Amino acid sequence: MTQYFIRRLLLIVPTFIGITILVFVITRFVPGGPIERMIAEAQQASMQSGGMTQSSGNGIGAATLDQDQIKQLEEYYGFDKPVLVSYWDWLVKVVHFDLGVSTRYSDPVWDTIKERLPISAFYGILTMLITYFISIPLGYMKAVRHNSHFDHVSSIVVFIGYAIPSYVVGIILLVVFASNLEWFPMGGFYGDEFEDMDSKLEQVADVFYHAALPLLAYVAGSFAVMTFMMKNSLMDNLAADYVRTAIAKGIPFKKAITRHAMRNSLIPIATHFGNNISVIIGGSFLIEKIFNIDGLGLLGYESIVERDYPIVLGVLVISAILQLFGNILSDICVAAVDPRVQFR
Amino acid sequence: MSEVLLKVKHLATEFDTEQGIARALDDISFEVKAGETLGIVGESGCGKSVTSLSIMRLLPKPAGNIVNGEVNFKGQDLVNLPADDMHNIRGNRIAMIFQEPMTALNPVYRISRQLNETLALHNPGMSKDDIQQASIDMLKRVGIPAPERRMKEYPHQLSGGMRQRVMIAIALLCNPEILIADEPTTALDVTIQAQILKLLKDLQKETGMSIIFITHDLGVIAEVCDRVLVMYGGRIIEQADIFTLFDKPSHPYTRGLLNAIPRLEKPAKETLSTIPGMVPSLFDFPPGCRFQNRCEYVQTRCEQETPDLEMHGNDTHQVRCFRFKELVNL
Repeated sequence: MTQYFIRRLLLIVPTFIGITILVFVITRFVPGGPIERMIAEAQQASMQSGGMTQSSGNGIGAATLDQDQIKQLEEYYGFDKPVLVSYWDWLVKVVHFDLGVSTRYSDPVWDTIKERLPISAFYGILTMLITYFISIPLGYMKAVRHNSHFDHVSSIVVFIGYAIPSYVVGIILLVVFASNLEWFPMGGFYGDEFEDMDSKLEQVADVFYHAALPLLAYVAGSFAVMTFMMKNSLMDNLAADYVRTAIAKGIPFKKAITRHAMRNSLIPIATHFGNNISVIIGGSFLIEKIFNIDGLGLLGYESIVERDYPIVLGVLVISAILQLFGNILSDICVAAVDPRVQFR
Repeated sequence: MSEVLLKVKHLATEFDTEQGIARALDDISFEVKAGETLGIVGESGCGKSVTSLSIMRLLPKPAGNIVNGEVNFKGQDLVNLPADDMHNIRGNRIAMIFQEPMTALNPVYRISRQLNETLALHNPGMSKDDIQQASIDMLKRVGIPAPERRMKEYPHQLSGGMRQRVMIAIALLCNPEILIADEPTTALDVTIQAQILKLLKDLQKETGMSIIFITHDLGVIAEVCDRVLVMYGGRIIEQADIFTLFDKPSHPYTRGLLNAIPRLEKPAKETLSTIPGMVPSLFDFPPGCRFQNRCEYVQTRCEQETPDLEMHGNDTHQVRCFRFKELVNL
């Protein structure tokens, strides 16, 4: 088993290189890049300022960056070298925990990500916890009371939540509870008075006050899959021979479920567990946009639009590593609940 | 005459299915005496397993329901017993083993837990060490080598025969008065089957328990049973002690079954005799005798009236057929 996991850990290296090289190459071939964007920005700036300072007379010449400047920029960001060479340079830097500098903010990528990471993780972890806390008991109750009114009504609710895209849920929540009823704030991670609050408790309360609506939007769509996975897997196990054996031993039905069927039903849920890790961090840029939350999802999306490749790659590095470790974590979870699983 | 432990009277069980209500058991009556082995034989779907599940009240809920009759276990009617009292009987005074040893044990728990659990449940005062020791002793009794090591293993680490032995050990932990064995050897190969049958017989001799042995295999019946019920279409169609049944089968169905067994003394390569046709589904049984459409002796009466289970010859032999008396000479 240990051997298996060591092998899995070692496999992370080539997989990681594969993922990043692919994205790196793609960034080279998509039209437009950080340099072009800078040139365009410089053009815009000079046209505006040019309009006002026409008398100074250096008009068109200053409108674009000159060749030297462009060359300097290309050199700085590594665009002057062949793809693989600059990929290698980038990779060496990554290994030294240097993700480069954002072309947009001129800040180190890692600092930008570090700023956003806790926000996304906060929402991601809470969403996951809430989802598990709702899905497992709900799935359990639905399985035990299969075909009852409770089962039907909860199915309808779950499917409505699943069918409506989370950003629509977000907008509805925003309109109803923030705009019309004014029960919750319109957005942001915390309020304007956050820094002035006296106690930690007040600050925590403020964060949750702001988090209520976005969390609801995240959770609404997320527990359908898990709930039904739990319900179906428990139903399968309730019909299993070993549950009948347990009852034939004299164990009351309810205890036969909690002691015997539950653990077997959690196996598919455990398989799923590791995959959540990357979702946690990823966040949804739409929900972040709607609620004005500066999370990683929004950062990733904006940096793609703005061709801020160091950030794009930086976010990719973080999420790829999390996903790869998440897969191994899934395997460990499965091995923990199912003794039949033997990794070799 | 030994004491009657279990008296099943006019038991009827129905399943509520999407195609309508299926009567899986109809007017089942029989007795189990202390220390005897009663065989229940019949083909798939004849109701033999449903009979055992009805006695144990293990019918799949909410579809399966006992709609009539009683199951009298030493004066208590199990059909109407409160759930809590039923829990005390199951696994303690009436135990059961199943057909599929591969799936009947919980795959995620060690053997020790699955054994100890039963003892702890029915003997609340017993200490952990005593329970562990009793479980190990029981594994030894059912012929499992190195029981201490087996206790620490998971079901998937044991062979089919070993698992069935573990199932038997679990069933016998609390010294039940009746053991219901629902096709315990069907999933095992023939040599293991013989071992398990011998084990059950030996354990019965030791403990004096009664066994209800359910199978579709008349060879197995001949080996272990004292008395036999033959079921067809949810009804008992013949009931006799083992020698009478094999010497003088009286219902056309039983005769057909016995004729279908290939015999060593008959010439080889002769076409095997069979019972023509198929068992109708539970929804399509004709009124009257349920065997009529496959019976070579069918008469108009068989299509209109249901024959009763009638006494035949000695007091243990009963047959559900209008013509059994004439058939004896055919």
